[in-house]
Amino acid sequence: MKTNRKIILSSLICLTVISTSCSSSSNKRAELSDRAAEIVQGDCAKDAGKEVTIYSGRSEYLISPILEAFACESGIDVRVRWGSSTDLAILINEEGKSTEADVFLSRSPGPVGFLEGNNLLGSVDGSVLSLVEKQNHAASGSWIGFSGRKRVLVHNVDQVSPDELPKSVFELTDPKYRNRVAIPGTNGSFEDWFTVFRDQHGNETATKWLNDMVENGAKYYPNNRSIVEAAGRGEIDMGLVNHYYNYQEAAALGSEHRAENYNFPSDDIGSLLIITAATILATAEDKEASNELVAYLLTPQAQAYFSNKTFEYPLAKGTKPNPVLPVLEALEIGSVDFDSLGGGFEETERIVRESGILN
Amino acid sequence: MEFLTSKKLRHNQRAPLALKVIALISAFLFACPAIYLVWRNITSDSDPLGVLFSEQTLSPLMRTINLTILVTLSAAILGTGLAWLTIRTDMPSRRILKIILPLPLVFPTFVGAAAFIRTLNPGGLANNLVEKIGIEKTLELHGLFGAWLVLTLFTYPYVFLPVAARLKNLSSSLEESARLLGDSSWSTFRKVVLPQIASSLLAGSLLVFLYTISDFGAVQFMRYDTLTRAIWTTRLNNQPVSFALALILLTLAAVAVIIETFVSRRFRKPDATTQVETVLISLGKWKPIAITASWLIVFLALITPTIALGDWAADGLLREFRGGRPLFIDFKDIIEPTINTAWISMLTALIAAAIVLPVSYLVAKYRSSIGNTANAIMTSTFAMPGLLIALSMFFWTLKTSWAAEHLRGTIIILIFAYLVRFSAQALGPAKASVASIPPSLEDASQVLGASKFKRFFTIDIPVVTPGLLAGSGLVLMSTMKELPITLLVAPFEFPTLTTKIFQSFEDAFVAEGGLLALILVLLSAILTWILVIRQADHLA
Repeated sequence: MKTNRKIILSSLICLTVISTSCSSSSNKRAELSDRAAEIVQGDCAKDAGKEVTIYSGRSEYLISPILEAFACESGIDVRVRWGSSTDLAILINEEGKSTEADVFLSRSPGPVGFLEGNNLLGSVDGSVLSLVEKQNHAASGSWIGFSGRKRVLVHNVDQVSPDELPKSVFELTDPKYRNRVAIPGTNGSFEDWFTVFRDQHGNETATKWLNDMVENGAKYYPNNRSIVEAAGRGEIDMGLVNHYYNYQEAAALGSEHRAENYNFPSDDIGSLLIITAATILATAEDKEASNELVAYLLTPQAQAYFSNKTFEYPLAKGTKPNPVLPVLEALEIGSVDFDSLGGGFEETERIVRESGILN
Repeated sequence: MEFLTSKKLRHNQRAPLALKVIALISAFLFACPAIYLVWRNITSDSDPLGVLFSEQTLSPLMRTINLTILVTLSAAILGTGLAWLTIRTDMPSRRILKIILPLPLVFPTFVGAAAFIRTLNPGGLANNLVEKIGIEKTLELHGLFGAWLVLTLFTYPYVFLPVAARLKNLSSSLEESARLLGDSSWSTFRKVVLPQIASSLLAGSLLVFLYTISDFGAVQFMRYDTLTRAIWTTRLNNQPVSFALALILLTLAAVAVIIETFVSRRFRKPDATTQVETVLISLGKWKPIAITASWLIVFLALITPTIALGDWAADGLLREFRGGRPLFIDFKDIIEPTINTAWISMLTALIAAAIVLPVSYLVAKYRSSIGNTANAIMTSTFAMPGLLIALSMFFWTLKTSWAAEHLRGTIIILIFAYLVRFSAQALGPAKASVASIPPSLEDASQVLGASKFKRFFTIDIPVVTPGLLAGSGLVLMSTMKELPITLLVAPFEFPTLTTKIFQSFEDAFVAEGGLLALILVLLSAILTWILVIRQADHLA
């Protein structure tokens, strides 16, 4: 029993040391993590006595340096609840008017559409909306895109030769791709993509394509990352995913990772750009501070971070994507008009389920 | 004759009012998430009956039932076999096995399944190894087989721990007599051992059953389309169906709990003594087979996933030296979640033990109907999806402005949500332990005039403690790896190891995820050893 107490006690001491070492320092700039310090331009602002609460579906590793930098530069405190975009949207809906969230950051459009449908979103200020092209924000101002992910075909370079790569997603139903393609059937971005697919090519064509894919032995994976990982290992030849996972995986594993992205021609539905969106809740307590935060995501320094560190496409007017990324054609940007898709997600979910891809 | 008197005495005993009141309050609190679910079925115009008989539900439901029956049977056999080998036989290395065999329980299934795939599937670590020695056979884990394998390997500890605790507390004298009289090992086991461990075995199997019907991680990774996946995929875009499916799942759980209650009553209450001189059975020529089998399980359930985690972590640590991307986490990012994880799970396990004890007494000693009701509620909620428990916490705390202000997003609510989800794991073993308090001892002390409290501390506590500890150990490990509740209900800025691991695996930070998962496994091993296994050894 003595040892137990010792362990608990020493843990508590550790905890106290950490917390005091944080609060005793007066220089806020010095407290920033290295990644946040790279973003911050000047000194930290004085404490503004304000706080913004964020529910973030964007994962912590990739976005917390920006939020930390914002807190430093604006003097506004930030507290974050991390989770999956879908679960957080469901939580906001459950909390309703009493939600603590001021700002909701979504990985993909689906959860945003859900909140909008339930009249829980307020609007982003016009001055902030004007930071992006008009196709990258809602006409009503309920959401604004701050980074983009392109749909690509990730493939194992040892198992797929360049001349085998298809000109269009429609070719993937060909027998030569039998049992070789992975689809993240329940993934948010995939559902968004498929919803746009249905919108552009009609329900019948889209449904037939998915059913033919299943017929052709397309394989389900739970998410983009597991497909990229499996393709890098050679478990699967290729898969339909968002572009930036492969950059992350390659950055993490180096030459051991044997997968690359392939971009469909820009007029093909397979090369759609999917937007990650920021929204301000209708019930946000401090609208001004919330807008300030959303605007910060679109500053040159934050956009450069998205572009250089997370390999996403920046969306603020006048910013250039990372040169390692393929250039976006004008058509691609904003082609996801998810305002008009409204209740389309429920139908997408039904078609995906009925196709049998989940087994 | 003596048996009859003691039985009569017990039936004359009426449950103390205080116990009943405590059980009623617990039952009511534990029912809150289920009431929320029913309420949501009503307010969102769900049609549970219509949904139940639709094709969309029936096939996932059948898959859930298939998978669950298979996993429950195999985990029951595996858990019992391993418990018997480590407690009752002279198998070499059984002391170390006793400590590490429960550990697979600590893998969050979303990590465990991913690690399995990483190690065993084509292009994985094991594959590369066998390819080097010239075997080109590729095994691919998926579907029913994959889900069955992963879930069996991660759930057998639910049976292993309570059965081992039970065996340790049982006299081996009957067993020895049976053997002396010439019974074979198998028939001794079936006729003598099995009836004595039946209630623990059943309680453990029920936990496996409930765990499996509510598991999402393994079936998702293994692409086996069960009810939980249907609940998950419909949760945003078709909430009425999602709520209806969850209600069906909860009903299935309640039915299983009620059946278990009735079945376990049919078993003779085992005799137990606190000071047992166990004579170990010599395995003889079976020794090599027993050792190989036990270590094979350890290899599959613990070492295989750990290798994958280690591989990921090592990649990340070595990467910096090779000029790759440095790790995204530093010492502080590891220490804070580790401390949070440790204390919140210990506290939850402790409270769980305290909460289940009154109900265990009502059920196992007084056979009270209030106890049975509380038991059914507290056990069934183990199968409730974490997301729904989390949402119900918000639903109820937002009912009054006082609770919204003082309870939402606090440690209190977080622990309560954990208790709702996991107390069942402590309840099963606790009931089995209370049932094993020898009535003869109790009657004797009563006759001798010992006070209630004195009896409780001198007779009940020593008998009950090992089972209760084993049960709290289960709660401890489950709480450490819990994800959906922690993400939504925890206070702001309260990172735990699992929330960090989740963030890591979301965005290809596998090195960070692997490292944190290794720490989780290690922390769990240390805490289980200090708080559960060592204490149980002292007491037994």
